[in-house]
Amino acid sequence: MIRLENVTKTYSTEVTALRDASFEIAKGEFVFLVGPSGSGKSTLLRLMNRQEQPERGEVWVAGKDINAMPDSKVPFLRRNIGNIFQDYKLLLNKTVFENVAFALEVIGRPKHVISQQVPAVLDLVGLADKGDRFPHQLSGGEQQRVSIARAFVNRPLILLADEPTGNLDPATGEGIMRLLDRINGTGTTVVMATHDQRIVNQMRKRVVQLDRGVIVRDQERGVYD
Amino acid sequence: MLARISYAFRETWASFKRNVTLTAAAVITSAVSLLLVGSTFLIQRAFDNLLTRWKGDVELIVYVRSDASPEQIAFIQEAIESQPTIIDVSKLRYLDQAESYAEAQKLFAGDPGTLRLLTPENIPSQFKVVPITDDSNLIRELGESFRGIEGVREVAYAQDVFDVVSRVSQFIRVATTVMSIVLLIVAIGLIWNTIRTAMFARRREIEVMKLVGATNWFIRIPFMLEGLLQGLIGGVLSCAGLWGLNTAWSNAVADFNDTELAALVVSDGYVRWVMIMLLVIGAAAGAIGSGIAASRFLDV
Repeated sequence: MIRLENVTKTYSTEVTALRDASFEIAKGEFVFLVGPSGSGKSTLLRLMNRQEQPERGEVWVAGKDINAMPDSKVPFLRRNIGNIFQDYKLLLNKTVFENVAFALEVIGRPKHVISQQVPAVLDLVGLADKGDRFPHQLSGGEQQRVSIARAFVNRPLILLADEPTGNLDPATGEGIMRLLDRINGTGTTVVMATHDQRIVNQMRKRVVQLDRGVIVRDQERGVYD
Repeated sequence: MLARISYAFRETWASFKRNVTLTAAAVITSAVSLLLVGSTFLIQRAFDNLLTRWKGDVELIVYVRSDASPEQIAFIQEAIESQPTIIDVSKLRYLDQAESYAEAQKLFAGDPGTLRLLTPENIPSQFKVVPITDDSNLIRELGESFRGIEGVREVAYAQDVFDVVSRVSQFIRVATTVMSIVLLIVAIGLIWNTIRTAMFARRREIEVMKLVGATNWFIRIPFMLEGLLQGLIGGVLSCAGLWGLNTAWSNAVADFNDTELAALVVSDGYVRWVMIMLLVIGAAAGAIGSGIAASRFLDV
């Protein structure tokens, strides 16, 4: 599903975010990217939906070399990839329903599809009765669920999560992890960057560890370290 | 498709309401610059009309001394009419002193000092001569030959006035064109800035849109529509202004109905054509300005 080949990314001549990184993620896998801040986790995620392009190496997603595709094709690549962030990135002037519907609206889905899929996905994330709330009326965990609903409403092949539990207390974080695990269970590949040791140790999924831009460990059913 | 169109219009309208001040500035600037563009067209047209009128009209005036005898006048007329290959005899017109005085009253209406010096007795009478040939040298030669005839006071060439007017019109044409181009660039810049501000205010939304896979065109079109609308509204305002200006001008010129100045009136048909041009230019400038702004913002 995702394959990196000798990827190097530098932000300036001094800062090397990623050096010669190679690994492969199969369809339906759940992978943790771990490592301290600045080790290259976020860069790795941003390379996977072409928010960044590497200096050297290739990034293959769903059978395509995504750095070889023209800019005009990138939106269609991204329709197959959901994104979740530490700060949720919800639109504060839109309701929960509208935030999720927005993702379908901007890719041109008709109204009847939206009015069908949004309630379904809100139900999945456990917010069926909160569609008309605004983000500021929700707890952090609920806001993160909205952002997961928005990322998943289009049934993407891949879900990229960048520190999704970073702003949440442990109990709420666990709830989010259960949700991501369920989504993974539907066949969606999940790649999650985190430095939350407890969660990694609990989940027992594949762990790819980064240190100063270098992959130092790649372990099935791994722990944080 | 319908969903996309309704989305674009909703977003355009929302953004329009959000930036009232900047929108007003952009609209007013484009209105003023377009008004200037329109005025340029009309002024040029008015001068062209005037010049055309003069070209086809009198090109040579033979002034006759006020104390010339009827025989001298008859001799002059004969001399003029003896040149049918150069002048159009059928259009030869003689204005006696009374008629010349009446004409002077109109021509010097704005110059009472000169008018006070003139009386029906001291004013020269005049032959208005329309040449047949386009050869101005030939006309000049003929005019010089009239100078020698007794009783002729002066020979004036409309060509001289014509040259001055066409030089003035040329100058006005260049000046107004340069000014309107500068203002048009300012208007595009302001629209560009409005759209940039609108996009900056919504950068979060745009970021989310890009992440969930909206195409750049989908994001860009509401902003381009907004710019287009600003240009178009500016265009409508400038059309109203232009129509008002032209009506006022036509009324003012109507007072000089019998003189050459009447040629300065521009036909309504032409004004309408200019107005359509202004709307098109306004819309295009708005779309271009916002399109550039949107593209640069999306290019991340």
